[in-house]
Amino acid sequence: MFSKYFLSLILVLLSFGALAQEKPTLNIYTYDSFAADWGPGPKLKEKFEQNCNCTINLIAASNSISSLRKIQLEGEQTKADILLGIDTSIAAQALETGLFIKHEIDVSDINIPNGWSSDYFVPFDYGYFAFVYNKEKLKNPPTSFDDLIKQDIKIIVQDPRSSTPGLGLVLWIKSIYKEQAKQVWSELKPKIVTMTKGWSESYNLFLKGEADMVLSYTTSPAYHKIVEDDDRFEFAQFEKGHYLQIEVGVIVKSSKNQKLAKQFLVWLISKEAQEIIPTTNWMYPVANIELPKGFMEQEKPKVALLIDEKIVFENSEAWILEMLDAFK
Amino acid sequence: MLLNNKRKILANSKRKIFGIIIALSIGAMIIALFLAILNVANIIPLSAKSTSPDIIHLVIMSTIQALLSTLLSLMVGIMLAWALNRLEFFGRKIIIALFASAIVTPGIVIALGLIDVWGREGIISDFLQIFGIDWDFSIFGLFGILFAHTILNGAFAATILLARLDAIAAQKLKIAQSLALSPLKRFLLLDLPAIKNTIPALGAIIFLLAFTSFPIVLMLGGGPSNQTLEVAIYSAVRLSFDLKLAVQLSVVQLILCLLIIMPAIIFNQDHIRAGISSNHRWQENGFSKFMQITILIVGIFVFMLPIISILLNLFSMEFFTLVLRPSFWRATITSLTLGASSAILTLFIAIIISQAKIALHGKISKALIALPLYVYLIIPALVLSLGFYILARQLQISNSIIAPFVLILGNALLALPFAVAVLAPSLEAINKRYNKLLSSLNLSSLSRWRFVEWPLLGREIGIVLALAFSFSLGDLGIISLFGTNEFTTLPWAMFQASGAYRNNDAGIIGAILLLIIFAVFLALPVIFRKFSNVRS
Repeated sequence: MFSKYFLSLILVLLSFGALAQEKPTLNIYTYDSFAADWGPGPKLKEKFEQNCNCTINLIAASNSISSLRKIQLEGEQTKADILLGIDTSIAAQALETGLFIKHEIDVSDINIPNGWSSDYFVPFDYGYFAFVYNKEKLKNPPTSFDDLIKQDIKIIVQDPRSSTPGLGLVLWIKSIYKEQAKQVWSELKPKIVTMTKGWSESYNLFLKGEADMVLSYTTSPAYHKIVEDDDRFEFAQFEKGHYLQIEVGVIVKSSKNQKLAKQFLVWLISKEAQEIIPTTNWMYPVANIELPKGFMEQEKPKVALLIDEKIVFENSEAWILEMLDAFK
Repeated sequence: MLLNNKRKILANSKRKIFGIIIALSIGAMIIALFLAILNVANIIPLSAKSTSPDIIHLVIMSTIQALLSTLLSLMVGIMLAWALNRLEFFGRKIIIALFASAIVTPGIVIALGLIDVWGREGIISDFLQIFGIDWDFSIFGLFGILFAHTILNGAFAATILLARLDAIAAQKLKIAQSLALSPLKRFLLLDLPAIKNTIPALGAIIFLLAFTSFPIVLMLGGGPSNQTLEVAIYSAVRLSFDLKLAVQLSVVQLILCLLIIMPAIIFNQDHIRAGISSNHRWQENGFSKFMQITILIVGIFVFMLPIISILLNLFSMEFFTLVLRPSFWRATITSLTLGASSAILTLFIAIIISQAKIALHGKISKALIALPLYVYLIIPALVLSLGFYILARQLQISNSIIAPFVLILGNALLALPFAVAVLAPSLEAINKRYNKLLSSLNLSSLSRWRFVEWPLLGREIGIVLALAFSFSLGDLGIISLFGTNEFTTLPWAMFQASGAYRNNDAGIIGAILLLIIFAVFLALPVIFRKFSNVRS
């Protein structure tokens, strides 16, 4: 049984090798839910392969930061051609490694709040961090952090050291409150039921009714509407704005398929590819396409907050410590 | 006679040598993993400014939490084992199998089951609502962590201790019964000596599990004031990619944990006179019977409710959609193959280590040979995964080829301390009991195993296989860097689903995992007991 399994594994690997000689393979390092059956990966792969005379190979790690770490460990020998799915809070770290090259793609048309100008990173979707609630249970959702602190509301958030939205919340509060951030954290403390390792535990606890609101995305309610036909969920619109998460792709310096990699990224921001994103990755598209109905029921946040990636790079550890300090 | 003695000494020294070689290679591998990481750490420039975390605070918090978890788990374990040993009832075997499986069930699955029961909108709250009572209870905080750890580890401790109680020789029980020992005296004179030997190693394992527990502590901890050193290590790898700091913190955790558990491992009473499972049951009456029934009912209630709520996920509408997906079957087959392979490997290593441990004299050397077993429980899975990944690269082996081997080996090493905790006491009991017989027989090490030990150890071997098998089904950590789409396991599929709003799918997979684990725990000990007896 076991040796059979291995034999077939080796045969599969060999057949990959044989294919590779006929047409080029584009290796894309990405995160797990991007490459999952129901994620955007398989659909994007199928569409792109129709015209490129190439094979797309999606290699997933448990999250996008792990994919970056893999490329760092593999250095020049990495087989990755593209790193897809890291966000702006980690982008400056990726740049610092010197393992990536400029994209030379025209990104001026890209539809992202506050615009886009990076020479290295090509954004392919974005979202805002937000607190999601059940409107049947919470009648007066807060409209700001100050309002949240005043109300008798319980929230669930994620640990910034192990979770992307968790770090997003640290940056969100910092971008609004600057020097008062620590003060805000200590006032938020009694509202926080718990701080989980990842987003999935938080969201699960929220759905089980353990808190009034959960730190998630403005696009979460759309999932419930479109997939589950459940319109109880909304996000709390904060007047002072929501922090942006922009997911980007970047070409690896050592790649031998840089032309093909660029071709893929250009296609990724085209309307054809962007049509796939909203209902598979549950984020907003960067091309001007019509959004599915479930995304339109609540207005997008009016103010988009984003701290410059270099400043994030220099300070995020200190800001996390500041937050932890407030909990002592 | 002299010749026979020589033969026996030879057999024993063979066992010692094999055991020492295996223990040394396990120890050497951990050093190789650390060195591989440090080697790379020197090449890769620091990605971000890492500020060293408040280690002392984290260490104190973790130690307090882990000590309390251990104490509570052992207390609950002893009480449950006591009740189960005395009572005879329909479904006893099923209850024992359920308890045994607790420790290998993915912690997050159990924790979410606990929320279903004790949460703000849980079963108990719903029930009290009928009578207009508001459920004002929060499971979050130190209490929640201890609660979850006690349920996971206490039930496991109960099954291990029960095996020792059930093994008290029938003649002994009959004598005690004829002397009409009071329940308290019976516990002190018969039970306590039987389990005394098992408690230190068991306590050490539970301590390590609680000390390094990470997702449960964060999920139920209620905020950063209740945390473990693991989160700092995780952050060093994830956020700042400070591999040196990650190794340093891991070494701190390693030394600290070893220092704490070392006395427990060295302290080993060498007076087991217990035999192997006897079928004589001596029930008690009156107050102690009442207590036993109460303990058992509370134990089953507290433990079974979350399990039932997890299993209810199976009746979801999405069940058939999920089960009809080919990717689900790929993941299932991969998981079962990996589980079976690492179970066999674990058993093999556990037998060698246990035999050597018994052949060795002196508490220190017995403890030293057991030490490498605990190391893998202490090092965070992320660091192990990183080490294996870098090592594989340095040996220039492709990821997709090495991934299954790393998973099998990694999971086997994780299951090893549990396996030895199950196997060693029974093996020792057999060797003590048949000491004179074994000395007079002309048996090599292999035939001693074949004709004496194996026929008597069927049940324990079944438990070891079930433990190791389930461990590899439930583990996520080690594969985290290797995961590719062609290589998915059931826990991975569960993680994938819950990371993409698909909580129903994740719930169903969690329930299926539980069912597989129960089935294995129920079947394997019985099968192997029969199987080994037939051959004897």
